[in-house]
Amino acid sequence: MNSIEIKDVSFQYQSNTPVLQDINLTIKKGEWVTILGHNGSGKSTLSKLIIGLLKAKTGQILVNGIELNPETVQDIRQKVGIVFQNPDNQFVGVTVRDDIAFGLENLQVPREDMVERIEKYAKKVNMSDFLNKEPHALSGGQKQRVAIAGILAMNTDIIIFDEATSMLDPKGRNMVLDTMKQLRSEGKTIITITHTMKEALLSDRIVVLKQGRILKVGNSKDILKDKETLEKSNLEMLLPLRILYDLEQTNYSNERIKNLLWELSLSV
Amino acid sequence: MKNIVIGRYIPGNTFLYKMDPRTKIIALIILMVSVFIIRSFTFMLGSLGIIIIVLLIGKISVKRVYLGLRPLMFLLIFTFVFQILFNTQGELLIERTLYYTLYTIPITILIITFWIFTKRYIRFKLLYFLLVLTSIVYVLTTLDLGYTIGQGELSIYSQGVEMAFFIMIRLIIIVTLSTILTLTTKPTDLNLGLESVLKPLKIFRVNTEEIAMILAISLRYIPTLLDEANKIMLAQASRGVDFSEGKLKDKVMQIVSLLVPMFIISFKRSDDLANAMEARSFVPGRPRTRLQVLKWTRLDTITLGITFIALITSISLRIFL
Ligand SMILES: Nc1ncnc2c1ncn2[C@@H]1O[C@H](COP(=O)(O)OP(=O)(O)OP(=O)(O)O)[C@@H](O)[C@H]1O
Ligand SMILES: [Mg+2]
Repeated sequence: MNSIEIKDVSFQYQSNTPVLQDINLTIKKGEWVTILGHNGSGKSTLSKLIIGLLKAKTGQILVNGIELNPETVQDIRQKVGIVFQNPDNQFVGVTVRDDIAFGLENLQVPREDMVERIEKYAKKVNMSDFLNKEPHALSGGQKQRVAIAGILAMNTDIIIFDEATSMLDPKGRNMVLDTMKQLRSEGKTIITITHTMKEALLSDRIVVLKQGRILKVGNSKDILKDKETLEKSNLEMLLPLRILYDLEQTNYSNERIKNLLWELSLSV
Repeated sequence: MKNIVIGRYIPGNTFLYKMDPRTKIIALIILMVSVFIIRSFTFMLGSLGIIIIVLLIGKISVKRVYLGLRPLMFLLIFTFVFQILFNTQGELLIERTLYYTLYTIPITILIITFWIFTKRYIRFKLLYFLLVLTSIVYVLTTLDLGYTIGQGELSIYSQGVEMAFFIMIRLIIIVTLSTILTLTTKPTDLNLGLESVLKPLKIFRVNTEEIAMILAISLRYIPTLLDEANKIMLAQASRGVDFSEGKLKDKVMQIVSLLVPMFIISFKRSDDLANAMEARSFVPGRPRTRLQVLKWTRLDTITLGITFIALITSISLRIFL
């Protein structure tokens, strides 16, 4: 089954410069897809189109096989969670607890269930000690953790992380990556928008956007070794991968070194 | 900048904290109404006494309440001085002639200039202002040297003095009451309380949940916006805008250089926030479950009982005395 189908979608804001053009993309259920692209390439815009915060000028979007339109948009939003880029502008509650609860209240989750989920996901992002804190008493990274917990708690089928780990320390980021792996094993569909190659490497597939068009779609490992595509989209290849790549060009055959380089690129 | 956020919630454990927010809000409204009904000076003083006792039992620091009053100082002083100078009812208490002479006018101007330049270094601004005011009055009434340009009258009437204190005490009581509410109620509870107190307005098709949500989000974003203002001021200061000094024209420029970016940022913010709320399945007017639930206890019934008695007392005092 397909989680998301995007067919011939184009979009522009009020101004006449197209932001997205002829986007065609199908994401299968349980798949983990990364969207890469330079600043302003339209990544965030694409994620907003998927839950109908913006309306595509042309084309069609299907989520879980249901076409996105004004009648279905509320149902679709219950299936898709988005952690937005700016953690400050998505903190709705007066306290961390209230904020995690916000989505659950909207989904009409019963109270006892809510309390349980809040505890569970606050723990998951290591924010259990901050439940009664107000947002202005939190750091950027801590707010990002709360945003992640708030979306995870909603338990949606599809989760989009729009540079959701940009402010996290390495430990925090690893924690979120572990959570993503766990989500995948639970069969959730994940879309990560990121500039971090490591996150990209963990995913199944990478979509590279350039100036509002899909430049390339492919298996993560292939894309990350594809020097040309990376260069075209202002991205840099990881150093160990670059070495590996160069070695492969020279018919180097020591598998152990190659594996080590691979491991190394995963751990950057 | 930070101290603009008056009466922030301070954790505590007294009876004021244990009360249901609904009780506190309703009690606040009833008590305010009662205070406006009272006409006698003695009873107003008595009410102030009761409030001070509540503050003491509730272990609320007077300093906090004073901080809440500070933004209203100007209003307080203004009404006070206005009443004293211009209320002409009751007995005549003091009648003095004001001499505007070639000596007293420059001295007065000198005192005012001195006050303008020194007031920012003085801690007790209110006392300082009163000191300056009395010295001006002193100069004008006693120094009749030199060529007299004109004469004025300073007459103070008993009603003026009484009303001046009466209105001041009433303002103090009202601010104290609302400060008690915000100091002892968590923002979350305050929202819930407001929401359920507003509920009856639903009959008039007012969307009370939305109003409560708007209030909640405003409360939530005040500190963020203040931070933002601080950042912008720093950024503008680094570009050479001086926020501390300047003539009126400069002041206007400073305010513009603060407000324009503030507006742009706020619009972007509210746009993002609306997106985030919608993305989390918020639909205005659709039923939601609530995490926080309010608990009504005996304390609440008793408190409301007492405030109703206060209301009835003040009404009957007004009618029968
Ligand atoms: N609300 C808006 N109104 C008008 N134009 C916008 C708006 N939001 C984004 N744009 C424009 O659309 C283009 C794509 O923006 P988008 O936010 O989708 O980029 P992005 O790939 O997420 O970039 P980043 O990596 O910086 O997050 C940009 O050129 C941007 O200037
Ligand atoms: Mg973006």
